[in-house]
Amino acid sequence: MYSDLLNALPEVLSLANFAAVIIGVIAGIVVGAMPGLSATMAISVLVPFTFGLEPLVALGLMAGIYNGAMYGGAIPAVLLRIPGTPAAVATTFDGYPMAQKGEGGFALQVAVVSSSIGGIASAFALMLLAPPLSQVTLLFGPSEVFWVAIFGLASIIFLLGGSPVKGLISACFGVFVSVIGADPIFGTDRYTFGQLEMLDGISIVILLVGLYALPPVIDLLETPLKTETDANKLGTEPIWRTLPRMGRFWKTWIRGSLIGIWIGILPGAGGSMAAFMSYNEARRASKTPETWGNGEPEGVAAAEVANNADTASALIPALTLGIPGTAVAAVMLGGLMIHGLQPGPMLFRENPDVVFGFMWQFLFGAILLVFLGGSLATNSFARLLNLPRPLLGSVIIVLMLIGVYSIHGRMFDVYLMLGFGAIGYVMDKLKFPLPPVVLGLILGAFAEENLRLALRIGRGDWTILFQNVTSLVIVALTIAVIVGPLIKRRYVNKRLKAELGSKTGMEE
Amino acid sequence: MLKLIQKTALVGAIILSAGAALADYPEKPIQIIVGFDAGGGTDVMARTAAPFIEKYLGEGASLVVKNVPGASGQIGITETAGADPDGYTIGTFNLPGMMARTIDRKSAYDVDSFTYLANVVNDPNVIVTSKRGDLDTLEKLIAEATANPGAVTVGMSSLGGDDHFMLIKLQQLTGAEFTIVPFSGSAPARTALMGGHVAMGILNISEVAEFQEELNILGVAQAERSPFAPDLPTFKEQGLDLLNGSMRGFVAPAGLPADIEAKLLDAFGQLAGDEEFQAAMAATANPVEVVTGAEFKALTASLYDLAKGVWETTPWN
Repeated sequence: MYSDLLNALPEVLSLANFAAVIIGVIAGIVVGAMPGLSATMAISVLVPFTFGLEPLVALGLMAGIYNGAMYGGAIPAVLLRIPGTPAAVATTFDGYPMAQKGEGGFALQVAVVSSSIGGIASAFALMLLAPPLSQVTLLFGPSEVFWVAIFGLASIIFLLGGSPVKGLISACFGVFVSVIGADPIFGTDRYTFGQLEMLDGISIVILLVGLYALPPVIDLLETPLKTETDANKLGTEPIWRTLPRMGRFWKTWIRGSLIGIWIGILPGAGGSMAAFMSYNEARRASKTPETWGNGEPEGVAAAEVANNADTASALIPALTLGIPGTAVAAVMLGGLMIHGLQPGPMLFRENPDVVFGFMWQFLFGAILLVFLGGSLATNSFARLLNLPRPLLGSVIIVLMLIGVYSIHGRMFDVYLMLGFGAIGYVMDKLKFPLPPVVLGLILGAFAEENLRLALRIGRGDWTILFQNVTSLVIVALTIAVIVGPLIKRRYVNKRLKAELGSKTGMEE
Repeated sequence: MLKLIQKTALVGAIILSAGAALADYPEKPIQIIVGFDAGGGTDVMARTAAPFIEKYLGEGASLVVKNVPGASGQIGITETAGADPDGYTIGTFNLPGMMARTIDRKSAYDVDSFTYLANVVNDPNVIVTSKRGDLDTLEKLIAEATANPGAVTVGMSSLGGDDHFMLIKLQQLTGAEFTIVPFSGSAPARTALMGGHVAMGILNISEVAEFQEELNILGVAQAERSPFAPDLPTFKEQGLDLLNGSMRGFVAPAGLPADIEAKLLDAFGQLAGDEEFQAAMAATANPVEVVTGAEFKALTASLYDLAKGVWETTPWN
């Protein structure tokens, strides 16, 4: 099983495929460093353009961007206390105080090394866990897949943080969109209004570009941001001299990696939750918790190692079951499917070169982060923040229009994308979370089709859904995900509130 | 009055263009409309056949593939049906899907909307069973489905496709009864079979040729043994007159000028004897069976009648 992993290596090292990873990492750092632009946005805009590329070039770009963006978000988080991506919020806690003390350069170096370590750990987790898990998924029939989809929907609604009611509404919107098109069993038209273009349903890529790329771009144009930074005050030392000072973070790195990998596999929760959890756990384990929040480098390490450790692991459920854990994983899944790669156990058998190559690209992307991010970041990337935002916004809009048009060569898709963009913009302003929409679209379709298939197999008998251990375990997990936060709110809330109060106090 | 002038002008233009076409067809590139995405089975067939058709048309003919995907090929075939019948637009055609769609939904075309050029691929159906069950022979399978009607679950790629009609034929021939479980596509159906979630499956031989270790393949619905899997017996050998498959070919809009039709038919007909073409198709797991012109139309009409009959007794939506 693992021999395919080594066989895929030479192909990955070919010039075009390796260059794709390098370009991806650099582009990812740039995107991550721009406040408002996320990895999801960058990859959504990119996916339609990858259609004509070789699969490994396309996937290499995506893997690179994902890794790069997760670190890039730390740059404005440290320098301006503006998280470049949502996952970098926890990085501001100690990163910004360090920058004020004149240790901004060291903070960024800690961030890049930690990000790289998290990414490497995650890539190994993907390589080791995905192939055996893909064999286990043969045991997942329609009733089990139905429950996995329900579990995924429950976790995205309840684990994402924020208001579960808003999450539920977002998810319902996504599930509604999944209903559009031909009925999966009978082929009856639903909400197509006689349009043949609607018969195949709403393409996930079109929804993603509209929902994830348009609102941040409008935001970019709306809010002028003063981003004057003085690179001279960073206090940068060469990385080989600062590296020994990071040795003491090893426990935090291991803990943060494990947390990040676990959160990544879990559907729903993404990089920001991993970073928060890792930060809290590291602070709890620290001998000097009072220094945290006042410029403790270990705090930067804890946040950054975890938000990169969920990158590759989020692809484990996506590649094995076709169920993405996060919005970014959903976009990447869209990218895989554009190249005719169907997730599931057959993927590892029919396209081992591509799927294992993709895993290597994740690993190389994470390693490259130190070389590309470490040597360039501290001075050059800090200047990125001064790019003219209107110019950037218009370029992205043009790319979006061309990209979506080129998927099928139809204007209809472009109008559809703009429509979703408008909906996404309103949802964003009203603080409705967007990831549940995407997962609702994917998992809603999964849940519906597999429920109906399971009932056909059971000839209408609903007990077929509870007839085996796998199903029951997933049902139990689902209940835990729903009930857990409720219990927590009831009994632990007071203590948590006190803690949170003191932390937000420090941020101010 | 204005309409009359327009019509006259249009007819004049058509006669003129037909006259020009008479001289030396083809004098510009011929467009092939493929109703599926690039890289799919139908697309591969069109792109593999194109250079051979160019060769047989001669005179520097050139064929250009245009992908118009969506709605199981319906968007593409509708465009073909509505194109000018001047020989410069032809389209790919899938059976029985294209005919079943005229029955189960409103369509802008029917059997008579086309000039039938050639069917090129016939991918026969196979019946497979899961290795996790004990229905490892055709006899056992039919005995079980007869004794316990509906107890055998059958995974297939969709309703109203070749898999579905194959099962209907099987039920009519044997009197056994099955429960249909239509997955979306043959790959998930095959995976469910390997996991033992359905007992039996109806697929096409190109989809199972590489899975002979993991699945019991009980028979092939073709008159002769398939060169793809010469070890697999046909149903005929097992005393069951069961023939069915997924077919792919080429059509043009109805009303093609007779000489252009003759020229195209001649070019497509020569595919049958072209060994280089056969080899190229075999390399892409496409079993070739060339049927041209009137025979192709009769084949389409018979499949339409079968689908219509099925629809009237057991509609699938």
